[in-house]
Amino acid sequence: MRRVLLVLEPIIWGLFSAGMMVGGLLLPAWALVMGVAGPLGFAPTATSYDHFHAVASHPLGRLVLLAAIALPLWGGAHHLRHLWLDFGGLRSDGLVGTLCYLVAGIGSGLAIVAVARL
Amino acid sequence: MSELRPGVDAMRPARAGATRTADSRPPDGFPGASRYRGYLGFGFGGFFLVTVSLLVLRAVWALGNGEAAWDRVQQSFQNPIYVLFHALAFLWLTWFTLRLFRLFPKTQPKRIGPLERPPDALLVAGLSGVFVVVTLVVAAILWGAF
Repeated sequence: MRRVLLVLEPIIWGLFSAGMMVGGLLLPAWALVMGVAGPLGFAPTATSYDHFHAVASHPLGRLVLLAAIALPLWGGAHHLRHLWLDFGGLRSDGLVGTLCYLVAGIGSGLAIVAVARL
Repeated sequence: MSELRPGVDAMRPARAGATRTADSRPPDGFPGASRYRGYLGFGFGGFFLVTVSLLVLRAVWALGNGEAAWDRVQQSFQNPIYVLFHALAFLWLTWFTLRLFRLFPKTQPKRIGPLERPPDALLVAGLSGVFVVVTLVVAAILWGAF
């Protein structure tokens, strides 16, 4: 399995770097507004179904949401795999790497379905 | 005279042996030493990238299931554990992104295309400015300001 991961390394690296950039730019705002301000009642419009549906179902909104879900999953998966390696997990790298990228791959597939259903 | 000159292969062993490499090992003091804190924290940022992305996926999935499902997700987000998690994720990912941009100049060549590379401080300031602007615009859209 490690051999397969090595062959796929250039593709994974591309998704990883894009994921760090996109996740770093988009997810802090999501965490602040949808995870803190909205639930605490400071941003009632943010949590309203009509408002978010209007934003998310716009073609540009779908594209941004897809990028905000799928790419950071790859970025995070690659980071966690390498953190595992740093702590001496070379022997189980094939298994852990595969699990990390499996989560990212399934999550990306679900993200495509999720934005297509809007 | 020429007999006194050393041969370039003078130290070559009689038989070719297997290449000996040292076992890989972590650097001194890893991971406890304070100089590794930033590096490890940056790596752990991957946890927040994955979990926050999965929470966005959960919300968008619920959005596609209708208003009742969306409201259920929003109610679950009111749980103090979720609020604390999101607050921590906001702080961690902000630091993560600014650190990423601080490292960016080190990855760039001296010339970018035909142009001389801008000073490192200008690159970092520009990218950090982009982060602030994008965060404010995305937050304003989510907030319902437009």
